[in-house]
Amino acid sequence: MLNLFDSSFDHCIKCTVCTTRCPVAEANPDYPGPKQAGPDGERLRIKNPQLYDVALKYCSNCKRCEVVCPSGVQVGTVIQLAKARHGGFSKGPREFILSHTDLLGPLSSATAPLVNMATGLKPVKKLLDKTLGIDERQTLPKYSRQTFRSWFQSMAARQVQFKRKISFFHGCFTNYNDPTVGKHLVAVLNAMNIGVTLLKKEKCCGVPLIANGFFDQARKNARLNLGQFADTLNDNKGIECILTTEPSCAMTLRDEYPEVLQVDNHHLKERILLASAFIVRELDSGNAPKMAPVNLRVAYHSPCHLIKQGGVIYAMELLNSIPGLEVVMLDQKCCGMSGTYGFKKENYETSQKIGQAVFDQLTGMAVDYVVTDCQSCKMQIETNTSYKVLHPLTLMAQSLA
Amino acid sequence: MKYDVVVIGGGLAGLTSAIRCAEAGLRSVAISTGESALAFASGSIDVLGFHHDNRPIEEPFTQISQLPAEHPYRKLGAEALHQSLDFFQSQMAAAGLAMTGHGQKNHGRLTALGAIRPAWLSQKGTRALPLTAPASGIGRVAVVNFAGFRDFQPTLVAAGLSRQPGFTDVAFTLADIKAETLNINARNACELRSLELAHILKRDLFSQPNGLHILSSALQKAARNADLVVIPSVLSDTDGNDLIVELERLSGLHICEVATLPPSLPGMRIAAALKQRFRQSGGLFLEGDQVLGGQFEHDRLLSITTRLNQDMPLSASHFVLATGTFFSQGLASDRHHLQEPVFGLAVNSPQDTEQWSGERFMDGRQHCFSRTGVITDGGLNPYRNGQKINNLYCAGAVLDGFNPVQEASAGGIAISTGWFVAERIISAVAHAPEHHLRGLETC
Repeated sequence: MLNLFDSSFDHCIKCTVCTTRCPVAEANPDYPGPKQAGPDGERLRIKNPQLYDVALKYCSNCKRCEVVCPSGVQVGTVIQLAKARHGGFSKGPREFILSHTDLLGPLSSATAPLVNMATGLKPVKKLLDKTLGIDERQTLPKYSRQTFRSWFQSMAARQVQFKRKISFFHGCFTNYNDPTVGKHLVAVLNAMNIGVTLLKKEKCCGVPLIANGFFDQARKNARLNLGQFADTLNDNKGIECILTTEPSCAMTLRDEYPEVLQVDNHHLKERILLASAFIVRELDSGNAPKMAPVNLRVAYHSPCHLIKQGGVIYAMELLNSIPGLEVVMLDQKCCGMSGTYGFKKENYETSQKIGQAVFDQLTGMAVDYVVTDCQSCKMQIETNTSYKVLHPLTLMAQSLA
Repeated sequence: MKYDVVVIGGGLAGLTSAIRCAEAGLRSVAISTGESALAFASGSIDVLGFHHDNRPIEEPFTQISQLPAEHPYRKLGAEALHQSLDFFQSQMAAAGLAMTGHGQKNHGRLTALGAIRPAWLSQKGTRALPLTAPASGIGRVAVVNFAGFRDFQPTLVAAGLSRQPGFTDVAFTLADIKAETLNINARNACELRSLELAHILKRDLFSQPNGLHILSSALQKAARNADLVVIPSVLSDTDGNDLIVELERLSGLHICEVATLPPSLPGMRIAAALKQRFRQSGGLFLEGDQVLGGQFEHDRLLSITTRLNQDMPLSASHFVLATGTFFSQGLASDRHHLQEPVFGLAVNSPQDTEQWSGERFMDGRQHCFSRTGVITDGGLNPYRNGQKINNLYCAGAVLDGFNPVQEASAGGIAISTGWFVAERIISAVAHAPEHHLRGLETC
């Protein structure tokens, strides 16, 4: 029986460092922390599935336990897989709605003004709270009337003129909720003489599906996306790589497909890149866009999933390349939102408590904007502070001369 | 991506080095595989605690010249050691973590096994005992635990301490404070680690306006007028020292917190303060990545490759290797070899594996493996394939020539060698030709 299980959790030496860095364990002492929920619990669960602890539902999948583990244990993944194996996800209508972003996206986008007005109304929020358990104190993301894909149609003709091209995996948020970052990526890359193309088709990377337990759907999406990547990269049109602007999409496409979903991507992985990593590489080889000083002071917040994949250095390099930009780096703390986590009624308090350190550090800080790569962090910080939050690419697009 | 300095290792040595470099205006990055050994350390800093024959050292600075020539302290000298410790102390103070000692003398710090170890700097909540007469003025010691907390055992503290010189006639009181007394909801107290207990105390006790008074009364009752009250370090990973000062004021007791089984809250405070100072000095701290190797050209390291960004080497003018020893994977061993796994640097270890360790684990004699490390020259530059690497410097436990356990010197070695290599780098950058050019352009 035992060989059915990945026993790499046994590299755990019980040092408890993961628990010291778990934002959920700090905010909610009812969560036993990643050490107990992960490698400790795994030993018990292998012996007897009834020893599964329902408190695993509190894990927000921020992955900070994996970042600090001195023994290289994939603590967060152990917890996600255990939840999947032992029915630890509730998978109700709320989870379905929150996670199936590319099912709801087209509907909501088509009726954006109505949906946006409705989800902003107090009685509607109350109803969603009472019937579904989506916390009424949370601000629901707005939908864009025009999707990124339909905006892009007007740009597509220009893109073919560039000798060099990349393919942009825009993700659900950029397509349905706010196309700004996508538009800015196109502007920046075009200024660097690189054209942008889109995949014929793309599905949600799967991060909200994994976080809500819809592993089968996530696997389907993974196969479709990887198939699209392979087609695009192999069709002799000289597409160099697949770029994404969302840290959680990048982490999922590159790391979670093989580690959590067991979908092999090794032949493509090194050609799936964070847009910032790609741009920094270009800057290094001398391909910098013409930029004018922006004369701004900003605070940079590093998203958990960007830390996990070693991407913070690219965001900082990109920001530091913008003339007239002063960047204050915030403590690398979690904002507490974790995608769909902070929308759930039972997590709302925990989510706010986790984010408090970030909100406190920002209070009274003399900066023009907060900058972060993640749309979920952006929502949390904008809802809880007085700052407007921008993506690093937006600042770079603003600086284009 | 090109930096002035890349520091490999995010522990005491690496971050001390990185802070000094960043503060001097160098573009600095520090890379850490995971949390450092500070999360398991006492939270005090030792410099040199024992002679070779295990006699305690009272004044460490007078003993530096007696050390063997290959000892790191001999390479940098007593003056640099002093400066580095002052630097560290001021950095901790700037992060709000006061650390003090007994002037030119070592003091004694109590351990969770009741030993008294020589130390140079301690936090306010750690009562610094006089090293020569640690029991002076103490007739009764109370060791007080939080009921059910397993990572601190009062009986072990008392058993160990009662065997220390001067403590044989001291009376011991062992007591528990119950969760009901404090009105805290300690779910399965036996499962809690120190930090989890701290979170519960914060939520249920210290959030109450009279929370500290409740704890103070409970301690008074449990300690029954003891001259010294020993408690596990579980009050807070952030402001634990201030809480103890306040508890002493309220209760009139002399309280000493002792680091528990991991995680060590006093150690975590130092780690947090170091990271804060590095960030505030403009440095970039990358956690959770691992350096896999480097690209060398003759006597220089040009760039390094990390696990998470394998196709994007990090270049720098100077590199610091502060990766610790076996636990932190700065040194690795198999049945036949001891090696430095990142760059394959020359390591000082006997060919005969029988000599790596003594026959018995704890017989008061030294083990070879605890003094093994990377061989360096007087400037702490290491050797690779017989070639000295002039822009790579080693700091902290990865170095050879000292035995941190036997000497009680790990903290001082980490801080002083980290600081020393930073000073060398700062001076090298200031004298580099390209730096002159940079200066001229701005004129």
